[in-house]
Amino acid sequence: MTRPRGSDGGDPAGNSRTDDCGVDVCAPEAHDPGSPGDRGDGRAPGRCPAAQGGDALRPTDEERLARVALSAVVEPGDPVVGGWVAQHGPVEAWRDLQDGRRDGSVSRRRWEGLRHRAGRTDPRASLAEAAACGGRFVAPGDPEWPSQLDDLGAAAPVGLWVRGTASLRLLAVRSVAVVGARACTDYGAWVATDLARSLAARGWTVASGAAYGVDGAAHQGALRGGGQTVAVLASGVDTGYPAGHAGLLERVRAQGLMVSELPPGGHPTRHRFLQRNRLLAALTRGTVVVEAAPRSGALATARRAAALGRHVMGVPGSVLSAQSDGVHQLLRGGAHLVSRAEEVIELVGAMGELADVAGTTDPRDLLTEPAGRVLGAVPPGGAAAVEQIAADAGCGVAGAQAVLLELCALGYVERSGESWSLRR
Amino acid sequence: MVFARTCSVAVTGVEGVVVEVQADLEPGVAAFTLVGLVDKSLSEARDRVRSAVVNSGIAWPQKKLTVALSPAALPKAGSGFDLAVACAVLAAGEHVEPAAVAELVLVGELGLDGRVRPVHGVLPAVLAAVDAGCRRVVVAEANATEASLVPGVSVLGVRSLRQLVAVLTGAEPPEEPVTEGPDVSSVLPPGAAAGLCSTSLGGEHRPDLAEVAGQRTARRALEIAAAGRHHLFLKGTPGAGKTMLAERLPGLLPPLTRQEALEVTAVHSVSGTLPEGRPLLDRPPYCAPHHSASMAALVGGGSGLPRPGAVSLAHHGVLFLDEAAEMSGRVLDALRQPLESGLVVIARSAGVVRLPARFLLALAANPCPCGRHGSAAGGCECTPHTVRRYRARLSGPLMDRVDLRVPVEPVGRAELLSAGRSESTSTVAARVVAARERAAARYADRPWQVNGSVPGHELRSRWAPAPGALQRAEQDMDRGLLTARGLDRVLRVAWTVADLAGHDRPTASDMDAALSLRSGVVRGAGLVGSLP
Repeated sequence: MTRPRGSDGGDPAGNSRTDDCGVDVCAPEAHDPGSPGDRGDGRAPGRCPAAQGGDALRPTDEERLARVALSAVVEPGDPVVGGWVAQHGPVEAWRDLQDGRRDGSVSRRRWEGLRHRAGRTDPRASLAEAAACGGRFVAPGDPEWPSQLDDLGAAAPVGLWVRGTASLRLLAVRSVAVVGARACTDYGAWVATDLARSLAARGWTVASGAAYGVDGAAHQGALRGGGQTVAVLASGVDTGYPAGHAGLLERVRAQGLMVSELPPGGHPTRHRFLQRNRLLAALTRGTVVVEAAPRSGALATARRAAALGRHVMGVPGSVLSAQSDGVHQLLRGGAHLVSRAEEVIELVGAMGELADVAGTTDPRDLLTEPAGRVLGAVPPGGAAAVEQIAADAGCGVAGAQAVLLELCALGYVERSGESWSLRR
Repeated sequence: MVFARTCSVAVTGVEGVVVEVQADLEPGVAAFTLVGLVDKSLSEARDRVRSAVVNSGIAWPQKKLTVALSPAALPKAGSGFDLAVACAVLAAGEHVEPAAVAELVLVGELGLDGRVRPVHGVLPAVLAAVDAGCRRVVVAEANATEASLVPGVSVLGVRSLRQLVAVLTGAEPPEEPVTEGPDVSSVLPPGAAAGLCSTSLGGEHRPDLAEVAGQRTARRALEIAAAGRHHLFLKGTPGAGKTMLAERLPGLLPPLTRQEALEVTAVHSVSGTLPEGRPLLDRPPYCAPHHSASMAALVGGGSGLPRPGAVSLAHHGVLFLDEAAEMSGRVLDALRQPLESGLVVIARSAGVVRLPARFLLALAANPCPCGRHGSAAGGCECTPHTVRRYRARLSGPLMDRVDLRVPVEPVGRAELLSAGRSESTSTVAARVVAARERAAARYADRPWQVNGSVPGHELRSRWAPAPGALQRAEQDMDRGLLTARGLDRVLRVAWTVADLAGHDRPTASDMDAALSLRSGVVRGAGLVGSLP
């Protein structure tokens, strides 16, 4: 498999390639030139795919065409076929498939399925179809290829179909997935919109799955925040799913990107939704689950993200709401609790991008011990003599007197004659 | 004398038009012609009137008789013209003094034996007669109390044609036996809205809010809805108590004013749903049609001239639509016009009818077809798609007019069995009255009385909330979570919350409560936290 190393976000041509899985391959890389961040922390070096074969950094036309064809043949996230393609390289794999030379790693039954599909695949037609709707194919090695997808190993996509003007790589560098239930509550939609809007306003790309409910609200929030958003689809980029979100997807395309593993005309299936979730998890730095019932697909995205070493975050809800049950389980399982965009950025952003702690501390809490007790002994309404206050606070009269003077200077109490009262 | 005239009233919708009934006798072959756009039930008046006259012991004029109802272009229906037709004929035949009947307005149906039967719509008929300057009205005895609700009119209730003739000729009115046998006067024609609407009779058991355990948020929402006449949407699992809550909403509304009571009674008079022996409805009506209700049942209609539907029967009261998501979308969307304008305008080939329909709308719906979606107990089998479709049945434009969206959680065991009684209807109703008085004093020189009907521009320009109170709403607008129209609606609710709490103008917490109710997302201290 071709593994261009777009390390440090520069021109991939500057990197050398080795055939084995050497230092180059497994070195932690910073995907974001702008924010060094704690990106590499959660990723085990061994997770890097065992890339072999493939010499060119930029895919050749032949290789690109082969990948286009394979994207129509290989089911998204198939590790066996993916490994086979990676081993032989896309060009040879496609040629073998056309000529019927079966590789030992692929079972006979699956091979027949692949052959059947290969016979009905016309890569040039797919490209033409994509071009007709303003789409394009992005292959590993392209400057636009988001290299964090290599974390998926053998399950990495053979290529991505993209619609929109922005660069996928640049958008994905600072991106967060905001996902959740389709049948969300008003609360979920509200939170997703607000969170996405704040993230977008702070320059973060919001990626989601364009489904009804939380996903749609997240896209809408990002669009309203004037930011960019990426819709990762389980169907072809030409149509988009669901049909009811056609208008939304059109705005996403204009202000961000539509991304899919499937060639134009691809239909969503249950399996493809799950594989879409893996892509969403791998593409982004972290996944925020806003609302999810215990069996929600959003939790699948979160599990994928956790397995890939990405940050997993959850927005809590009411404990009476079944729509938040899944999120609460996720949080109990060690996900981070987030309630605002700043808290999300604190996790996925660069070092030092810390969120303010909500709520200010009461300066009274900082008073040292006798002072706190004496202040508490001053009656809330009315006044008291220092002897009374000293008795209530359990300290000597002289000590109480000194503390009261100090508190007076700090503006907590005031004196009228011999008695002290709280200052309003 | 060969010509005589008297008056009756044609009621279309709840508006009456005084109709002149003219009778003319000419020499010729005996005949009886009734002209003036009469419908089937009215053309049958010929046979009823002839038999009634003959059976009252008066000779039928054996001449060519023509009775005309004018204005001739106005469609006329119903049996209420019988009495007027009979009197005109008798005056033309000089059995009674024509001058004695010329100034009368007569409304009543005749039996073949000469008895006068009550009809529907007497109140609007008498109102129209008074408006037209008539001062003397004759109705069936059973309608007399209803007719005398109208000030400035002298009402004569008669049991039979004989009695009326005796009164008109100055003779001693004969004693008529009370009708024996089954009383058919209260039997309604098909299509009447019997049972659709409960008009909260005094003697009946009236549901009390004290019977509702827990539900602090929903109770508070009911109070706000009643105080500001804000429309309400109750969402919750089956058995959570949505219907129970809605049934208690009319009790929270202030009693009707004399004018409102007359309007309500007029509608119920036309549809024949006035309770026996209680002609004036002074309590807000409660109307809860089944979710299979048709367009005609809900907004009014029917063949020929439309009859009042549920929205009109709920005039100045509560219209409760349970299982609103199960209702036909067309029918629900037909509510939008009355919600905006407070009346229904129904056009038919026979004419246009305007019916009053200023009601408080309470909708209730389950979260999904099985009703268990989102409940902590779980067990919902509906797919997300089904749930979404189910919710989408309540259209955006309709829901946009609903200010209060209230989740109704099932009551827990502890709350249900706790000994403490919750607040009673009378306690809450007293607060509602106080809040309405505050609002009415504020809008003293304006045409509206309650916060729910203040126009948005007025609210924004004349009545500013407390400084800083708008901050959260402004943030929501920036986020695109609140539209300009939504802001107006939030402001209206915030004023009601402020009125209930006794604030001079909405504070930040009042706005929080209003925003929470509008969006269904709890903000700040939420609704219960804003309790005074």
